[in-house]
Amino acid sequence: MPRSNPDPALAKAAPLTRPRVAAAAAPRLAARLRGLSPYGYLLPSLVFLTVFTYGPLLVAFTLSLFRWNVLTPRPVFVGLKNYLQMLGDPLFWLVMRNNLFYALGTIPVTMALGLLLALLVNARGLRGKGFYRVALFHPTMIPMVAAGMLWVWLFNPGIGLVNYYLGFLGVGKIEWLYDRHWALPAIILMSIWKHFGYFMLIFLAGLQNIPGELYEAAGLEGAGAWHQFRFITFPLLAPATLFVFLVSIISSFQVFDQVYVMTQGGPADQTNVLIFYIYQHAFRFWDLGMGSTLTVTFVALLLASVALLYRTFGRRVYYAAE
Amino acid sequence: MQRSRRRERLLTHLALLAVAGVTLTPYLWLLSTSLKERTAVFTPTPEWLPWPVRLQNYLDVFGMAPFGLFLVNTLLVVTGILAVQLVTITLAAYVFARRRFRGDTVLFFLFLLQMMIPIHATFVPNFLTLRALDLLNTRLAMMLPFFASGYGTFLLRQTFKQIPRDLEDAAVIDGCSGLRFLWHVLIPLAKPMLVAFGLISLVSHWNDYLWPLIVTDTPDVRTLTIGLGMFVQQESGADWTLLMAATAYVTAPLMVIFLLFQRKFIESFMLSGLKG
Repeated sequence: MPRSNPDPALAKAAPLTRPRVAAAAAPRLAARLRGLSPYGYLLPSLVFLTVFTYGPLLVAFTLSLFRWNVLTPRPVFVGLKNYLQMLGDPLFWLVMRNNLFYALGTIPVTMALGLLLALLVNARGLRGKGFYRVALFHPTMIPMVAAGMLWVWLFNPGIGLVNYYLGFLGVGKIEWLYDRHWALPAIILMSIWKHFGYFMLIFLAGLQNIPGELYEAAGLEGAGAWHQFRFITFPLLAPATLFVFLVSIISSFQVFDQVYVMTQGGPADQTNVLIFYIYQHAFRFWDLGMGSTLTVTFVALLLASVALLYRTFGRRVYYAAE
Repeated sequence: MQRSRRRERLLTHLALLAVAGVTLTPYLWLLSTSLKERTAVFTPTPEWLPWPVRLQNYLDVFGMAPFGLFLVNTLLVVTGILAVQLVTITLAAYVFARRRFRGDTVLFFLFLLQMMIPIHATFVPNFLTLRALDLLNTRLAMMLPFFASGYGTFLLRQTFKQIPRDLEDAAVIDGCSGLRFLWHVLIPLAKPMLVAFGLISLVSHWNDYLWPLIVTDTPDVRTLTIGLGMFVQQESGADWTLLMAATAYVTAPLMVIFLLFQRKFIESFMLSGLKG
C-alpha cells in the first residue's frame, strides 16, 4: 500500500498519530505484553476454557466411575458399574428412543422448510421480503421457556387453538400433552415452529453468495428451474446445508427447556429426553455419579454423531465449496 | 411468458403468506389472550379481538412476582457475559489471525472443539466448582461458564484474517503495534462482526434456562426466564390471561428491540452461519 495514499477505511477508523502520545506513558507495559504474547493474549480465554469446559469434562469422566449419591455421601470408586447400571435400565433406552424420535421428527422438516422458504423469499424483485423475514424468523427471539408456555396454552385440549383449527380439517379432539402418544409430537411441532426461521436465514445467506451469472449462463443454455436448482443452487448451498445439519443435530441432543415447561418428561416418561434425564439424576435425585455417567454418554454420542456427519458429507462439501 | 411469471409471483406470495400466517398465529394469540378478562377465554370459538380490553393483567402480574427485579437481573447477566466475551474473543482472535507460534493449531482446535461441546455436559462439575467457590446463587455464577467463546473467537478470527496484512505493516512503521493496533485498527474494522456476535450472544443468554435454574434458588438473583418458570408452577393453569401476560412480559424486551432493529438482527444472524 503506498504510504502517500492511505486506505480510506483505515483513515476513518484509526487516527494513527494519537497512540504515540499514550505510548510514552506505558513503554514498559507494552514491552512486557510483547514478551508475553501470543500466549498472553490467549490467557484469559484459556483460563475460562480450562476451568469451565475442559476441566469439567475430565471431572465428569472421573465422577462417572464413582458412586456418589444421597446414600453414599463420600464418592466410592466402582469402575464401570454406573455404565452397566445405565445400560440395564429400560428407562435409559426409552429416553434414547425419545431423543431419536425427536431428532427424526424435527431435523428433516426444519431443514426442508428452511430451504424451501429461503428459495421463495429469495425470489428476485419480490415485494414484502422484510415482512416475510420478520414473520418467519420472530420465533427465534422468543425464549424457549416462554414459547413452551405459549404452546401449552395452544395445545389446551378443551379451548386451545390447535384443536379448534384442526377441527376444520376433520381431526378429532386430541389430548396432546396429556396423551402418551401425542405429547412428543406436540413438542416436535412446537420446536419446528421455533427453529425453522433461523435455518431459513442461514440458507438465505448461502443463496446470496451464489453468483447470479451462473443462473444467467444456465438460462442461456436452456436449463429449467429444476436443473438450475439441482446443478447450481443445491451444490453451492452445501456449506450452508452442512452448517444447518450440524446445528440441528446438536440442538436435538440438547432439547430440554420445552420439555421442562410443557411436560416435565411425562406422561409416563414419553417425553423424557437425555438432558432432562441427566437433570433428574444430578439435580433432583442428587445422584452425581450417575448424572456424570449419563453426561459422558451424552458427550460421546454427540461427538460421534458430529464426526459421522463430517465423514459422510464434510469432504463432499469441501470440494463443492472450492 | 409475462403471464406465467406473474402467476408464479402470485403463487409465491400465497405460499409465503400462508406460512407467515401460521407462524405469526401463536404470538398474536398470546397478545390477544393477555388482554382478555379472565373468563373471556372460555369461548367455544376463539375470539381474536379481546373485548373489553384488560390492561390490568399486566399490572397484576407485576404484583404477583418481582418481574422488574428479574428484568434487571437478566440485563446484568447478559451484558456481563457479553462484556467479558468481547475482551476474551478479541484477544484470542487477534493472535490466531496474525501470529504463528508453537502449538497454535492445537490451541485453535481446542477453541473450535468448544463449539461442539454442549454446555450441558459441564453442568455437574461446574456446579461443584461454584459450590466450592461459594458462588452459588449469585449473578456471577450464571455468567462464569460463558466467558470464553470458541464460536466468537472463530467468527472474529475469520474477520481479522480478511483485513489486509499491509495495514499492520504500515501501522507498525507508525509505531502502532500489538494491543494498540488491535484497538485502533482491527476492532473498528471488525465492528459489523462484533455487533453480530454481540446480538447473538445477547439473544442466546437472554434465553438461558437450565443453568440459571441449577445455580439459583432465591428470587433476588433470578432472571426473567426462571421467574416465568416459577410463576407458571404457582399458577399451574389457573388463569391463562395472567400466564400469557407474564409470558408477553418476558418476551417483550427482545421482541421490541428486534422489531426496531430488524435489519441489523437479520444481518447478524445471517452472518452467524457463514464459514470462512
